[in-house]
Formats: sequence, structure tokens, C-alpha cells
Amino acid sequence: MAEQKLGNPAVVGLAGFGLTTMVLQFHNVGWMGLGPVVWLGLIFGGLAQMIAGLQEMKSGNNFGYCAFTGYGCFWIALVLLLLGNHYNIYTSSKTDVGWFLVAWTMFTVILWIGSMRVSSALALTFTLLLVGFVLLDLAHFGYPDLTVVAGYELMVTAAMAWYIMAHLIYADLFGRDVLPVGKPWIA
Amino acid sequence: MKFVRMAGLLGLVLACGAARAAAPAESEVANAEEAITKVRAAARFLHDKGSSAYSDFNQKDSKWVWKDSYVFVYDCRKDRMIAHPLRPDLVGKPILQVTDNSGKYIFKELCKAGSEPRGGWVEYSWPKPGAGRLSRKVSYALAADVSFAAGIQVSAGIYDENITMPELNKVLEKMSDPAKYPAL
Repeated sequence: MAEQKLGNPAVVGLAGFGLTTMVLQFHNVGWMGLGPVVWLGLIFGGLAQMIAGLQEMKSGNNFGYCAFTGYGCFWIALVLLLLGNHYNIYTSSKTDVGWFLVAWTMFTVILWIGSMRVSSALALTFTLLLVGFVLLDLAHFGYPDLTVVAGYELMVTAAMAWYIMAHLIYADLFGRDVLPVGKPWIA
Repeated sequence: MKFVRMAGLLGLVLACGAARAAAPAESEVANAEEAITKVRAAARFLHDKGSSAYSDFNQKDSKWVWKDSYVFVYDCRKDRMIAHPLRPDLVGKPILQVTDNSGKYIFKELCKAGSEPRGGWVEYSWPKPGAGRLSRKVSYALAADVSFAAGIQVSAGIYDENITMPELNKVLEKMSDPAKYPAL
């Protein structure tokens, strides 16, 4: 009997990461309010990405296991932080949010180096993500206008994450690599 | 006799009421220092609570409405009124095209003054709460640092026909001395 085919949890992780990152940037550049960001962040960027991350354990992919679970938790924490401010439960000032982002920037540096061993597309995604985090850090410590720059920059990051998602899905559906992700930056 | 006493009492009450209406007590008129203090406190409050604090500024009975003045919040980049305690009809509407009766673009001027490091004063005509006619209003505008937002400002004004811009700037100068007025 043939082995049952398993899905790749990364397609869900990348989908949630990309979509929620995208809508937060729609907010950051001023196109929409925070409402949809909160709910999408909780369920798709948060819960779905975190579950996808936990499923990576069985596929033996430590990078995906850490990254998807980590960023899934990032979204849930960010949403709870916004809700906490609304309901006056452990409120976080702009400075507090800034330090929260600084910690996530440091976490991203570690994964950024790891991503260079995976593929060009992933290394590029993490480079863009890291730049976006640094811009948001600066926006929280004295340069608020960089929120908008980070917004456009992180839209490209989200699109890159979707590119890798599309690479995985199309490779499966078309039976060949339609959207190549390139060689690792560090061989 | 009883009627005379009643009439006298009534007369006294009416006279007091008329005096109140003609010249409001000094304590009911907000001054420049109060406007600066309220605006700075509002900017600090927005820094501390983020966008979830916006709705507080839409409440008529909050601490952001005092004497004959109030704090309002707007977004210079998105061109939107975010919160206004006395004019809910303006909330969510574009602001940059709003002019006073002399044709001055009120919010363009406020956004410009508010983007100065210390904030700044802008003079224009606006209906005084309860007066029903246009008065000279001078508002102090200051940028508020809000997470995941840029271009948010807060303002509060005083209704004063006489105070000059150099006088207002002097008050701001005095209140920007960190020895006398420590950072909020």
C-alpha cells in the first residue's frame, strides 16, 4: 500500500504570515483601521500559523517549527496587547510596544541567518522582514514617519512569503517547479 | 408681605443669573497654560494607551472637556478627525479642506504648528461652546506618538479676543522650561 501523502504545513504558515502582515501594513500606511488586523491576527496570523508551526515538528523541519510557531505567537501576543490596551489590562505604551518589537527583531536575526541555508526566496523574505522590524523599531523610538516606510517594505515581505507559498502549492499541482525559489545563499 | 418677599427673592435670583450670563466667572474661561497642560497630558495618554484611547476623547464628560474648552484629536496624514467631544458629526470626516470665515485652512495650519518639536499656536474663528456664534479661537497643537500610526495630533484652544501670538509663545516658552515644568 502506498504511503499516504501528507500536506506541507508551511503553506498554511506562509499564508497566515503573509496575509496578516499584509493587512497590518494596509493599516500602517493609512488605508484602513486596526479592526480587521486584530481579528485576522488572532485567527490566521496567530492560531493557524501557530498550529502550522506545531505540525512542522512531525516533518522534522526545525526552522519551520520555530519560525511559524514563533511568529504565530507574535500575532496572538500583538493582538492581546492591543486588546489589553483597550480594556485596561496590562496596558502597553508606545515605548513598551517598541521594546516588544526589538525583542522580535533579535529573534528574527537568528532565523534570518538560518534562512540563508534554505533558499534565495526565503533568505530574501527574512532580509525584508528584518529590515521591516528595524524600521518599526525606529518608528517606535523617535521616527514615527518610518511606520509608513515600514508599511510598504513589509507589504513586499508579505508578497515574498506568498511567493514561497505559491511555489509549494503550484509545484504540487503542476507536478513541476513553476515558481523557483533559488539556491541557498550559504551553500 | 409674603408676596413682596417672594418677589424680592425672585428678583435676586434673576439678577444673579443675568450677571452670570453677562460676564462668566474667571474660573470658567480656560487659559493658555491649561490648554498646553491638557494637550500635553492628552499626547502622553495616547502614547501610553495607543489607538484604543481615541474613544475617550469623544466623551463630553471626560477630563478632556473642561471649562469652555476641550481636546480634539486628528490625523494629519490620513486627513481625518479622529475624536471631537462636542462635534460627533466631524469625527471620521476629512479635515484639511476645513476653512474658517476668513478662508484660513484651519487644520493645515494646525498640522504645521503641531509638527514643530514643541508644538505651536494657531489662530482662527470657531464657534465657542454654548455661544452659538463665531469667536476668535487660538489653539495649541502637538504631535502625539501613537504605536503603528504617524501624523496623529492633539489640540485644545482658548477663546480670547485679545491675547497676542507673542504672548502665547511666551507662555509656551515658559512651560517648555524643564526645570519649572518637568516632562509629563
